[in-house]
Amino acid sequence: MLKLNNVEVKYVGVILVLRGVSLEVRDGAIVALLGSNGAGKTTTLKAISGLLHTELGEVTAGSIEYDGSRIDGMDPEQIAKRGIIQVMEGRQVLGHLNVEENLLLGGYIVKNSDIKKDLDMVYDYFPKLKSLRHSTSGYLSGGEQQMLVMGRAMMAHPKIMLLDEPSLGLAPLIVDEIFDIVTRFNAEEKTSVLIVEQNARAALSITEYSYVMENGRVVLDGPSSKLADNEDIKEFYLGLSKLGEKKSYRQVKHYKRRKRWL
Amino acid sequence: MEFFGKIVAAGLMNGAVYGLVAIGFVLIYKSSSVLNFSQGYMLLLGGYIFWSFRGGLRLDLFLSLLLTLPCAFLMGILIERITLRPLIGQPLLSMITVTIFLSLVLEGVASLFWGTYPLEQITIFPKGALKLGKTVLTTESLFAFGLAIVVMMVLIFFFRYTRLGLSMRGVAEGHEIMQSMGISVKRILTICWGIAGVAATLGGILLGGTLGFQLGLSHIGLLAIPAAFIGGLESPEGAVLGGLLIGLIESIVSGYVGKAAGVPASYIVLIVVMLFRPYGFFGLERIERV
Ligand SMILES: Nc1ncnc2c1ncn2[C@@H]1O[C@H](COP(=O)(O)OP(=O)(O)O)[C@@H](O)[C@H]1O
Ligand SMILES: [Mg+2]
Repeated sequence: MLKLNNVEVKYVGVILVLRGVSLEVRDGAIVALLGSNGAGKTTTLKAISGLLHTELGEVTAGSIEYDGSRIDGMDPEQIAKRGIIQVMEGRQVLGHLNVEENLLLGGYIVKNSDIKKDLDMVYDYFPKLKSLRHSTSGYLSGGEQQMLVMGRAMMAHPKIMLLDEPSLGLAPLIVDEIFDIVTRFNAEEKTSVLIVEQNARAALSITEYSYVMENGRVVLDGPSSKLADNEDIKEFYLGLSKLGEKKSYRQVKHYKRRKRWL
Repeated sequence: MEFFGKIVAAGLMNGAVYGLVAIGFVLIYKSSSVLNFSQGYMLLLGGYIFWSFRGGLRLDLFLSLLLTLPCAFLMGILIERITLRPLIGQPLLSMITVTIFLSLVLEGVASLFWGTYPLEQITIFPKGALKLGKTVLTTESLFAFGLAIVVMMVLIFFFRYTRLGLSMRGVAEGHEIMQSMGISVKRILTICWGIAGVAATLGGILLGGTLGFQLGLSHIGLLAIPAAFIGGLESPEGAVLGGLLIGLIESIVSGYVGKAAGVPASYIVLIVVMLFRPYGFFGLERIERV
C-alpha cells in the first residue's frame, strides 16, 4: 500500500506547492487524482516517484510510505526499483530511439527478466506498437506515443503505476482504448494505478476511489461512483471547457522551468 | 601523383586518430550536453601515462596498454566528478569556460610531472615500409590507422547493440525520462566519461607513437573538435568521417601550401561548414512535434 501523510512540497526551497496532501492507494486498486491545472497533481506524483529532485523540489513535511517503509527522500532510481514507476505527462518518449529500444530500456531495471516475453506482453496490450517497433518514436502520433510510454512502464513490471494525464489531447476513441487497457493491465498484472486526469468523467468511470485537489490540498475524496454525482464535481467538469488555453500556457511554463539533473 | 598519394595516405591515418578522439567528444556532448574542450589535453595526459609505463618503466607493450587503459578510464571519471558534474544543466557558457580552464590545468599537470621537453622517443609499432604502387607507407602509421579504425568500429557496435550502449543513447535523449525508468543517469555519465578518457588516451598513444610524445600533442588532439563538429556532434559515425576529412584537409594543405597552414586550414573548413550546415553533416534531425 502507498500512503501519503500530510505531504508538503516546496520548490527551490520557497515555493510552497503541496500544503499537506494525504492519500492512499490500496494494493491492486485504481485511484484517480483529479483537479484543475496547477492544483499540484503532477507535483504529487513526482513527490512519490522521487522525480521532484530533478526540478529542485523537496518534500519538506509529512511522509510518503510504501509497504510500511518511508520512501520520501530516496533517489528516483531506488524508488523505481521498488516497483513504483511514473509515466510522466506529455508522452516523454526517447525521441531518436525506435519503439522497441524505448521498451527495452523500460525493462532494464528488472533483474533476470525474460525480455522477449515482456515485449510480447506489451505487444499484446498494444498490438499497434508491434507493427511500429522499428519506427523512430519521435515521429509517432500522440496516441501511439502514449501507448509507448505506458508500454515502456509495463516492461518494468511495476507494482504501482503513476499515470500523469494519459488522455491529454487525444481523440475520444483512443482515450477509451487507453483506459480499457489500463483496466485490463490492472486486473491481469495486479498493478495498482494512480491516475491523474483532467478528463474526470473517464477517470471516475474506471477507478474505485478518487481524490480531488485544489491549490495544493485534497479538497474532496470518496468512492468514484459517489463523486460522479457530486455537485462540486459537476462544476469541476465545467472548468474543463477552458482546458485549451490553459494547456498552452502551462507548456510554455514547463519549458522554462529550471532543472537540476543530478 | 606519387606525392599526392602519400599525402592522402598520411591524412587518412591522422584522420582516423582524430575520429577516434572525436567519438569521445561526441559521447560526452550527447550524454551530458557538455562541449569538452579539454579533450585534447586528456589525449596528452593519457599518452604521457602510457609513456611512463612503456618508456619510463620499460614495460612490455601489452602490459603498458593494460595498465594505461584503466588509468585513462579513471582520468575521465575524475574529470567529470570534480569539475563537470555540478555543471550539468547550467548555461553553455559556464560549462565551456570550465572545460577551457581545465585544459590549462591538465597541461600544467603534464608539464609538472613530465617536464616541458619532448619525452624520449619510444617505438610502439614495428618499424618498416610498405609499398603501395608508387606510394611508400610506414608500417607504423598503418598500424595506427588499423587500430584506430578497429577501436572506432568496436565503439560504434557497442553503442548500437549493447545494453549499456542503448542506455547511453537513452541518456542522450533525456535524463529525467531515464530516471523515471530507474536507470541511474550518474552511473551512465560516469561510464561515458571513462570511455571518452580511453578514446582520448588511445589517440594520444597512436599520435605519440608516430609524432613523438610532446606537449604539442594536445594541439593536434584538439583537431578532434572540428572533426566532431563537422560530423554533427551527435553521431559517432559522423565523428569518424569528420576525423578522416579533417585529416585529409590538414595533410593536403600542409603538403601543397606549407606545413604551418595545415591546422589553420582545418579550422577554416570548420567555420565554412558551420556557416552552411550548422548541425554538421550527420547531426540528428531535430524532431519537432506539437
Ligand atoms: N519546477 C517547478 N518550480 C516551481 N514551481 C513549480 C514547478 N513545478 C510546478 N510548479 C508550480 O506548482 C504548482 C502545481 O503544479 P503541478 O503540480 O504541475 O500542477 P498540475 O499537475 O495539477 O497541473 C503550479 O502553480 C506550478 O506553477
Ligand atoms: Mg500536471
